[in-house]
Amino acid sequence: MNDHMISRRRFLSYAGAAGAVAGTAAISGCTLGVPGDTHITESGRPSGLRALYATVEANAAAVQSVLPAFREAFGFDLTLDTQPYNALQQKVFSELATRSPYYDIIIVDTPWAPTLTRVLEPMSKYLRDPKLNQLADPAINDFVPKAFYDAGVFKIDDPTAHYPEPEAAPNIDQITAKGFEVLGLPIQTNVLMMGYRKDIFDNPNEQAAFRQQHGRPLAVPDTLDDLVTVGRFFTRPEQRLYGTTLMGGVGDWSTCDFKSYLAAFGGDGHLLSDDLHMAFDSPAGVQALQFMRDLVDKYNIVPPGSESASWDDTASMFDGGLTVMSSNYHTFELSDTVRGGQIAYAVVPKGSSQGPHFGSYMLSINKYSRFKEWAYQAITWITGAQQQMTMVQKELHPTRTSVYEKASADSGLTEKYGNFYSALGKSLNVGVGRPRLTNYTEVSHDIAVQVNNAVAGRISPQTALTAAVTDVRDTLRKADYTVPST
Amino acid sequence: MTSQTGIAPPGTRDQLAPGDRIKPLAPQRALERRGRSIGWALLAPAMILLLLMTVGPAIFLIYSSLHNIQMFGGASGFVGLRNFQELLTDATFLHSLLVTLAFVVIAVGIELIVGLALALALAPKTRANGVAATLLLLPFAVTPVVSAMVFKQLLDPNYGWVNYYLSKVGLLPGQMDWLANPSTAWIALVALDIWQWTPFVALIILAGRQTLPQEVFEAASVDGSRPWQTFRYITLPMLAPFLAIAVVLRSIQAFKTFDSFQVLTGGGPGDSTEIINLGIYRTALQSFQVGAASAVGLVFLLILSALVPLLLRVVGRNAEPEKG
Amino acid sequence: MTMSTHSNFSSVPRYAGRCLLWLALLLAMVPIVFLVITSLKPEGVTRTVPPTWVFHPTIENYSSVLSTGAGSSVTFGRLLFNSAAVSVGTVILTIAVAVPAAYGLTLREFRRSKGVSSWILSTYMFPPIVAVIPLFIIAGSIGMTDRYPVLIIPYAAFNLPIAIWILRNSLHSIPVEVQEAALVDGANRPQIMWHILAPLLMPAVATAAIITLILAWNEFLLALSLTRAAAKTSPVGVQEFTGLYGTQWGNLTAASCMIAAPIVICVLILRRRVVSGLAFGAVK
Repeated sequence: MNDHMISRRRFLSYAGAAGAVAGTAAISGCTLGVPGDTHITESGRPSGLRALYATVEANAAAVQSVLPAFREAFGFDLTLDTQPYNALQQKVFSELATRSPYYDIIIVDTPWAPTLTRVLEPMSKYLRDPKLNQLADPAINDFVPKAFYDAGVFKIDDPTAHYPEPEAAPNIDQITAKGFEVLGLPIQTNVLMMGYRKDIFDNPNEQAAFRQQHGRPLAVPDTLDDLVTVGRFFTRPEQRLYGTTLMGGVGDWSTCDFKSYLAAFGGDGHLLSDDLHMAFDSPAGVQALQFMRDLVDKYNIVPPGSESASWDDTASMFDGGLTVMSSNYHTFELSDTVRGGQIAYAVVPKGSSQGPHFGSYMLSINKYSRFKEWAYQAITWITGAQQQMTMVQKELHPTRTSVYEKASADSGLTEKYGNFYSALGKSLNVGVGRPRLTNYTEVSHDIAVQVNNAVAGRISPQTALTAAVTDVRDTLRKADYTVPST
Repeated sequence: MTSQTGIAPPGTRDQLAPGDRIKPLAPQRALERRGRSIGWALLAPAMILLLLMTVGPAIFLIYSSLHNIQMFGGASGFVGLRNFQELLTDATFLHSLLVTLAFVVIAVGIELIVGLALALALAPKTRANGVAATLLLLPFAVTPVVSAMVFKQLLDPNYGWVNYYLSKVGLLPGQMDWLANPSTAWIALVALDIWQWTPFVALIILAGRQTLPQEVFEAASVDGSRPWQTFRYITLPMLAPFLAIAVVLRSIQAFKTFDSFQVLTGGGPGDSTEIINLGIYRTALQSFQVGAASAVGLVFLLILSALVPLLLRVVGRNAEPEKG
Repeated sequence: MTMSTHSNFSSVPRYAGRCLLWLALLLAMVPIVFLVITSLKPEGVTRTVPPTWVFHPTIENYSSVLSTGAGSSVTFGRLLFNSAAVSVGTVILTIAVAVPAAYGLTLREFRRSKGVSSWILSTYMFPPIVAVIPLFIIAGSIGMTDRYPVLIIPYAAFNLPIAIWILRNSLHSIPVEVQEAALVDGANRPQIMWHILAPLLMPAVATAAIITLILAWNEFLLALSLTRAAAKTSPVGVQEFTGLYGTQWGNLTAASCMIAAPIVICVLILRRRVVSGLAFGAVK
């Protein structure tokens, strides 16, 4: 009898202790203010601003490096809460759906923007207000036009429409005259680019061998045919070396890969036109899927695992020295196992045409923020030319033409990242964005599933495209889009 | 006896006194009534908590499934049964329902058998068993997302331990891409689920096994019962209620699986591993099409509510344990 | 009387069975071994072929995780604290509510027990993914986002059915004669619960507590949606090491080991309680 009395008592004492801890913690959680409670101070400025940001996808480290300078310029702190991509999307949407004023500045990725047009604060009135442009000059004409329009310029009540003049230098009066609005300023652009092992390409033995085999010098492939030739030359499974990578798994990455190849074969890289025609279902689409399949099956120049690979997987493959070339949306970083490796960048190989996928992150003002004007000023400051130049040192992908020019010429950057920035600028010039749909995630998934089926060889490219068309039409119809019959 | 132990509370004095044998009818009914109201009182906190967390969201679910909810400005309109209509005529939805069902049946089936074997093997309270039981809990303790990522790494065609060591031994053809074929992707997902959740099943059965009175087993071995007979006619029937809860709880949990599928396959290859929760996640938390997602959730809930009693009946009357 | 040396099978198959058991357990430890070993590897050897088994162990992954984490606004230590507060709170609330509920369901006089227990089970079927949206709308409107109770209450509700069923079935296997003997002795219900049943329930309570602790500790979806910085829990924090662009394996595994460690310690403590609490049979 005594045994369980003691054990019960001891158990209860543990429970009691735990309860005390939990209780204190819970109570303190209830009563202590949330860290960084923001309010207006006597100077009329907020005590702090809060931003919701991405992690490595938008180089949070780069933005964090300018926060001390922000404090100096503004007199208060900007706090960054970061989340990786999927979680970030969920958080951004849920904060805006509940009309929470917690975050003043919110990062928005291009595919999310069409849904959010009504809960992001339009910037035109701030852009026109000289008082609000003292701390930093927005200079929107300096933004790369394509990135600027694709990321942040929307018709609030008709989010599907793209700005009709994507090459024109941004001008606020012209934008509003056409019925569009600026919903955010772009902070980071991501374009599909090719990275390659410069050390391997420069290796004299490789060069000699290639010249012997093919009668011409070894060079970074410029066309898709070149890609196959060079890829085959470098694919040596016994040495655990392959030509290039392919993102064949089910996910947005394969849709992005597909649309890039689609554009390379002459198709419309937007996948759907503004009036929702299924532009991807075309001869170019068939060729694109066939090419992707051939990379795996016929030419064999991609490593095992490509049929289920994502962004992450292909980056790991290249970083680990498994492939000589790769395409992705950011700088690569070779792992320590690869000795003597050097990376250089180029625009992706073209077919009859070219259209690597691109998308941007923009900083927007939360419509329910209490400090909208200050948020605006913070955004213009962060995306300003001077700050972008500082952040470029930490691998930010700039969004201003002037910064690209300076970055390409900067020897320090070239030393660290090779020709990344000049390649990025060139790629951006030919980049093709996404269709503007409120349910882009689901449409992208429909396409990705069929792309994966075709790449794995389970169905033919045409069957895949036809299946994708049916699924996409259905998905669009459910979101109340009117889809044209052909 | 009451006066000696001194623990008789005032109320019972009227009804029980030393020497009383059978209680008269009226006080017995009074005791019963008190028992009923005590029963409700004991259950009240649990019911309040559960009602709070289910009725509220359920109402929201029903409301939003009948509307086209616009969460970001714009007007939400009543659309009647349109969301349901779309759903039930959608081939992808029906396909994912089948996929989910197949997964649950296979995974839970295997987990039950393995869990039972483990629980019985670990029942004797030896030191070794204590260590084994603690080790057993480790897979259950690792965060599911992390477990999925670890499995993905272990199965990597180029760097993973599985491919490397199995191909060295000659069991596998070199660099196999587990996640590129529907069948091997399924094996990976089921293996992950078994690894992570068998401890849970084993633990429940073990807890049950350890509350079984030992005299019965001693009596049986005294009676000369052979091990298999003891197992089949004594252990198994006595464990039946615990097996039943383990199966039911695990099945319901298996229907809610999400992390492992999201990380390992994302529904691929193709849509061969597209379980319902992946679609709900996409619709609800990425597109925020709340109306459509609520319709899916509601239909899913209804299907589960129909399946679980069926499951209980299959597992037998033992699901409702005999009282005493 | 107390130790069950009863075995179901005769010697040879039993020996083979034990070998199989230990083999299975060792195999099951492979992913755990991967986690621990990778967390001690310098970043360069985390992904190699053939896998690197001989290397210079380093704790730089652990130190890098502990220092401000992956550039986030919340330190890793704070994440662990939040997880602890939320999980322990959940366990206490769950057990405190489940024990009386389970007992109530076993009362013979309680006619509705079958219906109520079926209803409780049905609440367990509620898919959390769909519950997330109404929960964060409600939490937002009453200003409880990013506070501990907003996680503790749903977690307790989601785990209650498991706890109640485990406890209830344990209660059922306690012979009714024990309770009736106590009733004849003049005890009332609360006393029965406290003095007689509670000790006998210890293993079941410990089991329910461990399960609830683990499920609350590792829960991700609700934690992500309902917290920002103050109450952010560790599963939400650990996934920040996995950006879209490559995973820092050393950091991720180190973080995961640190997150799993408190659970393992709790399990070790609770398991001993379970064993000692079992040192009896039905009281004669």
